[in-house]
Amino acid sequence: MIDFTIIGGGVIGTLIARELSKYNVSILLLEKENDIGNHATLANSAIVHSGHDPKPGSLKAQLCVRGNSLYESLSKELKIPLIFSGAFVMARDTDEVETLEMLYQRAIQNGVKQVALLDPEEARKQEPNMADGILKVLDLPTTKVTYPWEIAIAALQNAQENGAQYRLNAKVTKITPLEEGFEIEINEDERINTQYVINAAGVYADELGKFVEQEMPYKITPRRGEYYVLDKKVKGFVERVLYPVPSEKGKGVLVVPQVHGNILLGPTSEFQDEKENRDNHSDHLHWIKRDSEKLAKNIPFDLIIRTFSGLRATSTYSDFYIQPAKAYPQFIHVAGIDSPGLTAAPAIAEYVVNTLLNADETFTKKKDFNPFRTKKKPFHESTLEEKIALILDDRRYGNIVCKCERVTEAEVVEAIHSAVSSPTVKGIKKRVRAGSGLCQGGYCENTVVKLIARELKIPLTEVEYYEKNTAILWKETKVKR
Amino acid sequence: MEKKSMICIVCPVGCHVTIDAQKRVTGNRCKRGETYAIEEVTNPTRMLTSTVRVKSDLTTRLSVKTSHAISKKLIFKVMEALEDIEMVAPIKTDDIVIKNIFDTGVDILATRTIPH
Amino acid sequence: MERNEGETMKVDIVVIGGGASGLAAALSAKSDSNSVLVLEREAVLGGILNQCIHNGFGLHVFREELTGPEYASRFIEKFTEANIDYKLDTTVLSIEKPEDCFNIEAYNTEDGALTIEAKAVILSSGCYERTRGQIKLPGARVKGIMPAGSAQRYLNIDGYLVGKDVFILGSGDIGLIMARRMTLEGAKVHGVAEIMPYSNGLTRNIVQCLHDYDIPLYLSHTVTDIKGDNALESITIQEVDKDFKPIPGTEKMFDVDTLLLSVGLVPDTMVFETLDIELSEITKGAIVDHTYQSNIPGLFACGNALHVHDLVDWVTIESEKAGKSAKHYADDALKETRRLLTIEPLNGIRYTVPQFVDVNNFEAPITIMFRVTNKYDVGTFTVKQGDTIIQQKKARFIAPAEMESLMIKPDQLIDQTTPITIELEVKS
Ligand SMILES: Cc1cc2nc3c(=O)[nH]c(=O)nc-3n(C[C@H](O)[C@H](O)[C@H](O)COP(=O)(O)OP(=O)(O)OC[C@H]3O[C@@H](n4cnc5c(N)ncnc54)[C@H](O)[C@@H]3O)c2cc1C
Ligand SMILES: Cc1cc2nc3c(=O)[nH]c(=O)nc-3n(C[C@H](O)[C@H](O)[C@H](O)COP(=O)(O)OP(=O)(O)OC[C@H]3O[C@@H](n4cnc5c(N)ncnc54)[C@H](O)[C@@H]3O)c2cc1C
Ligand code: SF4
Repeated sequence: MIDFTIIGGGVIGTLIARELSKYNVSILLLEKENDIGNHATLANSAIVHSGHDPKPGSLKAQLCVRGNSLYESLSKELKIPLIFSGAFVMARDTDEVETLEMLYQRAIQNGVKQVALLDPEEARKQEPNMADGILKVLDLPTTKVTYPWEIAIAALQNAQENGAQYRLNAKVTKITPLEEGFEIEINEDERINTQYVINAAGVYADELGKFVEQEMPYKITPRRGEYYVLDKKVKGFVERVLYPVPSEKGKGVLVVPQVHGNILLGPTSEFQDEKENRDNHSDHLHWIKRDSEKLAKNIPFDLIIRTFSGLRATSTYSDFYIQPAKAYPQFIHVAGIDSPGLTAAPAIAEYVVNTLLNADETFTKKKDFNPFRTKKKPFHESTLEEKIALILDDRRYGNIVCKCERVTEAEVVEAIHSAVSSPTVKGIKKRVRAGSGLCQGGYCENTVVKLIARELKIPLTEVEYYEKNTAILWKETKVKR
Repeated sequence: MEKKSMICIVCPVGCHVTIDAQKRVTGNRCKRGETYAIEEVTNPTRMLTSTVRVKSDLTTRLSVKTSHAISKKLIFKVMEALEDIEMVAPIKTDDIVIKNIFDTGVDILATRTIPH
Repeated sequence: MERNEGETMKVDIVVIGGGASGLAAALSAKSDSNSVLVLEREAVLGGILNQCIHNGFGLHVFREELTGPEYASRFIEKFTEANIDYKLDTTVLSIEKPEDCFNIEAYNTEDGALTIEAKAVILSSGCYERTRGQIKLPGARVKGIMPAGSAQRYLNIDGYLVGKDVFILGSGDIGLIMARRMTLEGAKVHGVAEIMPYSNGLTRNIVQCLHDYDIPLYLSHTVTDIKGDNALESITIQEVDKDFKPIPGTEKMFDVDTLLLSVGLVPDTMVFETLDIELSEITKGAIVDHTYQSNIPGLFACGNALHVHDLVDWVTIESEKAGKSAKHYADDALKETRRLLTIEPLNGIRYTVPQFVDVNNFEAPITIMFRVTNKYDVGTFTVKQGDTIIQQKKARFIAPAEMESLMIKPDQLIDQTTPITIELEVKS
């Protein structure tokens, strides 16, 4: 019998796994996809919000502000990129100025530090590309930007280094409460027993919840957000996250500088019934252009390198739903984790483990818990001397696979064999950024495919782009028909 | 036969040529355009370029071409014949891969040098 | 060239990229008294030509029709005979110019980190293909959508077909060539869609690659939806109006597993991002004078890295000139102070390369290459300085996809200050 089964390998599930790995308990994380961090955790704005926005007194407000304060040490321990960008919320008319003043009060009430209201002239000195016609600006210096899916990968790797286990391609298809604990059915054919269940299944949390609830306390309706990505050539165009004044539809379209120098424009906000549909719509993409121009001028739209979209797990319950099941205290819902879920994630993990499970009293702490993830410094961040040393140690560091992002063969090979690995073209891209640049893999995909085949000793035709049935190559030519 | 218009494809200029019942060709900028137009209405031919398998350190495919244009009708037959071939490096440009394919007088030639 | 790990190497001229452009540039830059080094990231010289196994290369330079690899072979032979230094499997990651010399950082598995000091640099790194994100294709984000050149490489170099049922967006030459190649290898190509009312490919390719194999070409059409669960399952194309807006009711659906994009190439200028180089908004390559020198003294650009060429012959001719200028520069034979006279594209002309004449170094006739904005049967190109016509040329079958050129001699200039203009006149 396993102590803890965590369903879902997003930023929430993986950080909970890491938090639990501080204790002497057995942990198994189950993820239905062939990689972790594939859903909301892969497609969001990457902002560590200050906490100015959620309603005072809500779990969202509490965990957002707490999460924000945890990020600095988290990024050091897990070795994930974090930039201390700060943010501006910008009011364009008198109504918006009124809302902005309300937000200022709210930020203070929520415990956000260093907030200030600025005049546009003052703000422009710091953000010269801010749009014209702004009347007032709310300055939020504690806002940061991170690299979301690497948190999930890093957290799981660190949890694993501390004893946790995980399985990919393991979809939970049924949960049956037993006299003691639960029986979990995986992929409709395998069964395991567990004491506790953590339901961190993102947009599917409500479907899993149904197995233990008579009446579901929440329902999840995905809300899609679409984005444009600008090439990292734009680095420096804005330093801060730029927000409009929020409306009833949410935070609105933002301009977000990213940790590697790119800029995101988005997201849109559209409710939908399907839990999978992540299509991009040309009119929605149009809105992004229109709305982002209200925040910044002279946006270099010709540097758009891709579009993407993600689904927020918005629930009918107005706050994060982080509670034990009504009849089963050992089943914990961590549901409705839409924005600011990424920000709150480390605080959510803490809240679930310390507050709800009261772990300090219930379990014993591991003496040898190591909070630091093992990670080598990427080649592109190394100095010339370090690069020379790397190559002397392993010649494969001299072979540049992706020149846009400066990724070497040694790093791709290491990613293929890494502890939390997903040896697909996109799995490699998520880990070492090969293919994230201007040419979007036009050049390096070919090499990555060959390296995966070589390392895994499989034919080229079995190398997949990402999920199941996504082999890049159909068949070899010039072999007898 | 009526007048027939076509685009000469012998070279990248792509002249718009017309051929009439008396096989008189107009619109061509050079002599090859005339030959082309006449051939196109009698026995259309095409250059074929493709690849064959090759054993080498550098690549797994050797690029090849027909030494002259071959009849359009033969193109897929030649493609099939190329499946049987495996060359071994070193290979030089113009090395013969298949001599006198299907008795057409046309050879299949290597178009790339692969030293090792 | 013996050196220790981390030691700086000194060369007169470094050529980045050993494709058609780099080879030609290096050949003309080399003399008995200077040193030239070509750096190429692939295991072989020749660049993109190696995967362009079709014929149609060399008509202007060799007066015969060669395949891409054959064209490359001719230059590779000359190049090896000339005993020019080169390094394969070597990627340049950055160029800096702190003072008079360039510092180049390149990597390979043998030398490790190469730091090279050079007087002049020729950028001949070719181009990359525009991708789905850049053209903002709507619909599902699935596997199976790929630039045509990437598919060409898989097919012609590696021997793999990327898909069985194929549709091609964009009627550029690479797309057309791939339509035929994939058909010959056993895939079914369902069609080619082009958003413009005319094709961007050479006419001969439309005839040889599409008509010959009954592959339909949908002009004024674009892809408006993409469906599939992880992998591509179908695409929808729609006719567009003159503002390129899709016309409702014209949807056609195709069940395909592959969508190849042949939607344009962009000069690869990545390695000199660290330099303060002026780039053209239109070509996306460096802005150069007629010696192919950029605003950074000693930095020359040519080939597809400067602007995208439809014919390799023009690449060769242009790169030879750039190579020669680099040689002069390294020999201190190029006058240092430039006096730039603008060449301004007017009516009907999209851009010119070079964008300037450097009158201080204008001694021999120069070629101005340019592209037009629209397709015409006949027209006249007029070169003027102010109101004075200094050159005129009639042309037929003018198309944006095909590069045009004009020659100007030093004695044709009326003065050294009035900007040069080029325009296209057409009779309607
Ligand atoms: C457009 C958008 C923008 C956002 N911007 C921000 C932002 O800037 N800042 C911020 O703080 N937050 C932001 N968020 C919110 C944040 O991204 C999410 O709150 C966070 O990623 C949620 O993580 P998760 O682990 O709960 O969900 P997910 O990452 O979706 O993970 C859930 C996982 O569960 C798996 N799963 C589902 N069902 C099963 C099953 N039956 N068996 C096994 N596995 C299963 C899924 O495959 C998935 O991997 C944004 C969200 C979106 C969509
Ligand atoms: C698919 C395709 C089909 C074509 N078809 C025809 C045709 O039918 N007829 C015709 O006449 N022309 C054709 N052309 C045009 C012509 O072939 C090309 O314009 C020409 O070959 C380009 O030469 P280049 O040297 O500028 O670029 P490339 O051949 O691309 O060479 C650039 C070289 O630089 C190297 N490189 C890049 N970055 C670095 C770096 N950082 N460090 C080291 N090396 C680097 C690359 O590996 C490459 O080898 C075609 C072009 C393409 C792309
Ligand atoms: S007629 Fe001559 S110039 Fe014109 S396309 Fe044919 S071969 Fe070329």
